Amino acid sequence: MLSRIADSLFWIGRYMERADNTARILDVNYHMLLEQPPDTYKLRWDPLIAVTGERSRFYQTHEEASAQTAFEFLGYAEENPNSIAQCIVQARENARTIRDRISRELWEDINTLYHKILKLREEQQSLSRFCEVIRRGGHRFHGVCDATLARDEGWHFVQAGCVLERAEMTARILDVHYHQLLEGPTILSEARSHLWVAVLKSVAAYEFYRRQYSQIEPSKVAELLLLDSRHPRSVRFNLAALQTSLHAISGSVPGTYSNEAERLNGKLSERLTYSSIDEIFDGGLHNFLTELQEMCRNIGEEVTKSYFHYAVSA
Amino acid sequence: MSFAATSNQSDQELFAGYDPGSFYDELIAPNGEPRPWAAAMYHQLASMPRDVFEERRQLADLSYLVQGITFTVYSDGRGTERLFPFDLVPRIIPRSEWDTIERGLAQRVMALNLYLQDIYGQQRILKDKIIPRNLVYSCKHFRREMAGLSVPRDIYIHVSGIDLVRDSRTGQYLVLEDNARSPSGISYVLENRLVMRRTFPRAFEVCEVLPVDHYPAELAQILRSLSPRTGERPVIVLLTPGLYNSAYFEHCFLAQEMGIELVEGRDLVVVDDVVYMKTIHGLTRVDVIYRRVDDDFLDPLAFRSDSMVGVAGLMNAYRAGNIALANAIGTGVADDKAIYAYVPAFIKYYLGEDPILHNVDTYLCSNPQHLSYVLDHLGELVVKAVGESGGYGMLMGPSADRKTIEDFRERLKADPRNYIAQPVIPLSRVPSYDPSIGGMSARHVDLRPYCLYDGEKVTIVPGGLTRVALQRGSLVVNSSQGGGSKDTWVLRGDE
Repeated sequence: MLSRIADSLFWIGRYMERADNTARILDVNYHMLLEQPPDTYKLRWDPLIAVTGERSRFYQTHEEASAQTAFEFLGYAEENPNSIAQCIVQARENARTIRDRISRELWEDINTLYHKILKLREEQQSLSRFCEVIRRGGHRFHGVCDATLARDEGWHFVQAGCVLERAEMTARILDVHYHQLLEGPTILSEARSHLWVAVLKSVAAYEFYRRQYSQIEPSKVAELLLLDSRHPRSVRFNLAALQTSLHAISGSVPGTYSNEAERLNGKLSERLTYSSIDEIFDGGLHNFLTELQEMCRNIGEEVTKSYFHYAVSA
Repeated sequence: MSFAATSNQSDQELFAGYDPGSFYDELIAPNGEPRPWAAAMYHQLASMPRDVFEERRQLADLSYLVQGITFTVYSDGRGTERLFPFDLVPRIIPRSEWDTIERGLAQRVMALNLYLQDIYGQQRILKDKIIPRNLVYSCKHFRREMAGLSVPRDIYIHVSGIDLVRDSRTGQYLVLEDNARSPSGISYVLENRLVMRRTFPRAFEVCEVLPVDHYPAELAQILRSLSPRTGERPVIVLLTPGLYNSAYFEHCFLAQEMGIELVEGRDLVVVDDVVYMKTIHGLTRVDVIYRRVDDDFLDPLAFRSDSMVGVAGLMNAYRAGNIALANAIGTGVADDKAIYAYVPAFIKYYLGEDPILHNVDTYLCSNPQHLSYVLDHLGELVVKAVGESGGYGMLMGPSADRKTIEDFRERLKADPRNYIAQPVIPLSRVPSYDPSIGGMSARHVDLRPYCLYDGEKVTIVPGGLTRVALQRGSLVVNSSQGGGSKDTWVLRGDE
């Protein structure tokens, strides 16, 4: 497989997942707000901008982080390369470049989503309608990939892009609310549990959580999202899936590595497998989440160095 | 009662008030009746209520949008994606007429290939003074680098698109242009057929339409035969300038249909005169390149050094015989619009035959007598720049304003070699749907069949791309100038 094509497949996965997760972050905040007094707006929306890593860009063009400006900036803004619309544009550009290498269904699906977003914007549809379309689009993307792509290296590059992005984004979703985790009481009355219910719902983990734990405890929410081995949005689950795909591409056997990406990912996976949530809290959750995001970035860079942009000795 | 029902009926009819006019109509005879070979399709369409037709038309448009079958126009400076308008009324060609076209095209392609072999070889045709030496040497696309270089199986023009028009005055097909570099449009031929089969399945049951789907397989077979490495399964790639090229959709489409790798210049690297592609597991040797990148941009070391889409060292690998290219380098010396005037002479010279398809009368501005005639008649003629394609650099005398004509007059005087002029041909027409009147209206068309040459014979998928000038009265069919396309049906018989 051509390096350039693998690169595009990897980024289709990443951009689609990034759009999906950004929509989830936006949506959960918005729903929280509907039940909050207006003076908490700033407090609520600012960390959300910060967690996407685009804080300085945002304040260049906006005075204040409100539901409206955050939606505009994270949803559509062309000047924000990580806005949801721009992620879809990028995913589509990548898919268009390699449309001969993906199924017709996959290309048409991404292309249709792109046109739908243009239409939503034109019609000035609400934030929740917009997020709903993106989330459904994300689910359909996974379904179409699953049902129409051959399980070759290309598939594993798409997978690798998705799961790496999702691991990083789950860490971000937690990071938006980490201060609430640390400052609030350990067990919440149902009346005060809205935030965590919303977070769990945003990552489709609410029902699963309720079956595992009866009450909403912030540390348990963190445990599920970071360390659970079965839920498809937990960081640990996604890093394990990443290792499977990296090994399928390189041919390494389990428990070994043949490049730096596999080594770093293996090391991080092991740490999540054998850490308890109490240990993580003791060491400082914010620091842990920051480090986790940085490790994910490093792994991404190593994948690039190993497969997409290596030196050719002529 | 019955009267009211009838008038309602005729209101709905798509062909109500259709006027074939004074031009040759491909489907409708001057008396308003369908031509024998078009009758079956005509009756289907004529009996179709307008709203049903409208609905199918919208479904067809939607399918192009969903598939992203678009082309890019650069006139606004940033490159905008547009749908290539598709008209649902097919152009229908009876078998006997097609057989003549096919023989004429095969003859022309054989002659053009022999001419290229000669020009880059012994140059007999120059020594025999059939064509002026300076006309060939001054051609922008003549490549000195190709002189004396032998190409695999002596094939230069593997793929060509020859533009034909039917002159309404005589009913004859004429050759308007040869495209011997990398003509685009075949993907539309195949996609249009797909959409038509979905839109009018019943019509295909009644009319016996010859299939076109085998084109990619035929092309792939020719490409495989060019491989310099025998015994190994050849690695074939399609080289594209990339996503922003107006034909990018087609490049993807063909690569996918042929099951070959679609590559950009940056995917290839030349080491010791051998071409490789960069894969996730290292370098893989490449044998054959179906290139859709112009000569100028193919190799920054040999041609334009500012090319960002080429492969450094490719020309050396080609010279060393380690890589085959289709089409060969330098074929532009065959489709220059001034050289075009000599193609009938090539046919006579190389094949000893009379041309089956004739040229449009052409004035070469490099000839002082022709130039003075052209300057006196600019308002009646079509003027074209010799090395351009796609309808760029063209003057349509009868519809141009004073200023444009004067502008061209200066250009012609400044660089006569760069221009030719032709009389305006009253192109034939085909009924086409006009949404503004909700019915059929006659529109001018041309025809571009795609010819494949394997070194022995020429293969042409029946039909080709019918381009249609969707603006009322317009004679310009290029997609970049607001034209659309139609499916082209060659029938198994004459009715």
